[in-house]
Amino acid sequence: MVNAEIKLISARKSYYLSSGEEIPVLKGVNLTIAKGEFVAIMGESGGGKTTLLNIIGCLHPLTDGEYLLSGENIGAVRDDFTLAFIRNKKMGFVFQQFNLFARLSALKNVALPALYLGRPRLERENRARRLLESVGLGDRLEHRPSELSGGQQQRVAICRALVNEPDIILADEPTGALDSESGLEIMRIFRDFKKQNKTVVMVTHTATVAKFADRIIYLRDGQVISDNYQLASKY
Amino acid sequence: MWREIIIMSLESLLAKKTRTVLSMLGIIIGVATVIAVFAIGQGAQNAVNAQFQNLSANSIMIMSNRGREATGSSKLSVADAAVIREQAAQVKSAAGAITGNVSVAYGGEDKSYSLIGADSEYLSISNLTVASGRFFGPDEVAGKEMAAVLGATAAADLFADGTDPIGATVTVGAKKAEVIGVLKKVGGRLGPLSVDEAVILPNTAAEKNILGGRGMVMINIQADSVDNIEAATQEITAILRAEHKLKIDQEDDFRIMDAGSMVATAQETAKMMSYLLTAIAAITLLVSGIGIMNVMFVTVAERTKEIGIAKAIGGKRADILWQFLLESVILSMLGGLIGIGLGLGLIPLVAKINIITLAYSWNGPIIGFSFSVLVGIFFGFYPAFKASRLDPVDALRSE
Repeated sequence: MVNAEIKLISARKSYYLSSGEEIPVLKGVNLTIAKGEFVAIMGESGGGKTTLLNIIGCLHPLTDGEYLLSGENIGAVRDDFTLAFIRNKKMGFVFQQFNLFARLSALKNVALPALYLGRPRLERENRARRLLESVGLGDRLEHRPSELSGGQQQRVAICRALVNEPDIILADEPTGALDSESGLEIMRIFRDFKKQNKTVVMVTHTATVAKFADRIIYLRDGQVISDNYQLASKY
Repeated sequence: MWREIIIMSLESLLAKKTRTVLSMLGIIIGVATVIAVFAIGQGAQNAVNAQFQNLSANSIMIMSNRGREATGSSKLSVADAAVIREQAAQVKSAAGAITGNVSVAYGGEDKSYSLIGADSEYLSISNLTVASGRFFGPDEVAGKEMAAVLGATAAADLFADGTDPIGATVTVGAKKAEVIGVLKKVGGRLGPLSVDEAVILPNTAAEKNILGGRGMVMINIQADSVDNIEAATQEITAILRAEHKLKIDQEDDFRIMDAGSMVATAQETAKMMSYLLTAIAAITLLVSGIGIMNVMFVTVAERTKEIGIAKAIGGKRADILWQFLLESVILSMLGGLIGIGLGLGLIPLVAKINIITLAYSWNGPIIGFSFSVLVGIFFGFYPAFKASRLDPVDALRSE
């Protein structure tokens, strides 16, 4: 595939216990995700979903195999500066528990990745403000996470993921802590990423959520057992 | 960027006020100690300077050296001053003094005062003034007369009933003495004695009639020039050894010191004191630094999840290192500033107690502040470094 954004070749990942025992989590995963695709990763607990997401997100190094990001092999990169830059500029993370900084306002939370990138204050706060306005939180800029509902917090977290205009959005159970209506709202935003040609990789164990994706990959015991395209649900 | 990181550090310190204040306590006390050390050091230096400011460079001082087994008792006497004056070629002047405690009575009960057996020139040498009556002259010294001059406080105490002291007879020790003068109030102390609370007699009379062997004899000598100090010291030693009939194998029964070595000794003592206090301050700062390190480890452990999030959204190791390092530096710097305030605020209070002399010194605040910052960097680095090296996935998983 010419437009391969993410390509994993025989990707292996093992954890090692202090006794030296090897616990293999990913046992040779081959996967190609094209630019602009919305992919849901499903599977049982312990099947390696989150580990796969963390590897794509450069939070984990591979034990063995190759990871090509936009054609570049970064599976062997260990340099913190490079990996942090990729996480900062190329990717945006969205978590189940939102993971906002409790002491910072919504605006500051969203602007933080731009701070790490070294953008000037006015620029990053303007961008953060525009993003929050676009998800209907223009009147909540100075609110702290504890003063927002779950759905609002997740929207702030999505804005944070978008502030450096990444090509890839990585989401781990983004609707897992939300009621169905708020979850639907989040999925609506995710569907809109397609219009901006952003690639979305989302881990979920809920079939109704996975329906919003173009493609569903099942993992079991560290291996891909099925990989199917579908007609995405139109909410 | 720095502005944001500093604000974030301040916010997280403010979020845990009790802990912040408690962990600052060590550094507050440490820096206040540094301030005190320098105030005491500067005070001791000033005291040394004040003590010797009237001492000319050609002064030599002789004191009795008792208690040494080699000699038993000292034969040093105020009369030796006259002998030195007569025999030593390189000596301009020599004045003997003897001091001790004595009970004095006028009519009623006894009271204890300092007795100063002095030369007739004592008045002018010590910058004293007579309030009424007169000071004794060379003839009264030579005649060993019991002519007493009273310090202002002593006179007011003894003659509380309003009688004119001049011409009155007081009992000094067991002997009668006639009061011939009263001194003006001095206020402070002159060396170890308070002249205000003293009775002054001619040194010859004080030695012979009252103090005998129990007084402390001191002879002040002026050499004829600074260059001759060494020669004069040897000359005086020879004269006194002959006068005291010391055998060749006996040690001197007196101590002889020149101005230069006396100043050096006093400065050495002051320096030793400030070394000791500096060591105490250093230990306090070390302990406070360990306290800060401890608190920073707790903070890092508590915020492990935050560290994971920061890494996931693109925070570099350096960003996280700086975040925690700045927090510990701000913590210790605030502690340092409070410590400086506390130290400077305490100086006037301690100075009132009047046991030790204190003086403000710029070195105290500057060194205290620099040390607090260094402590913050040094003891904050390791926790911050550990935080920056955390595995992002492990950190994210922690609660």
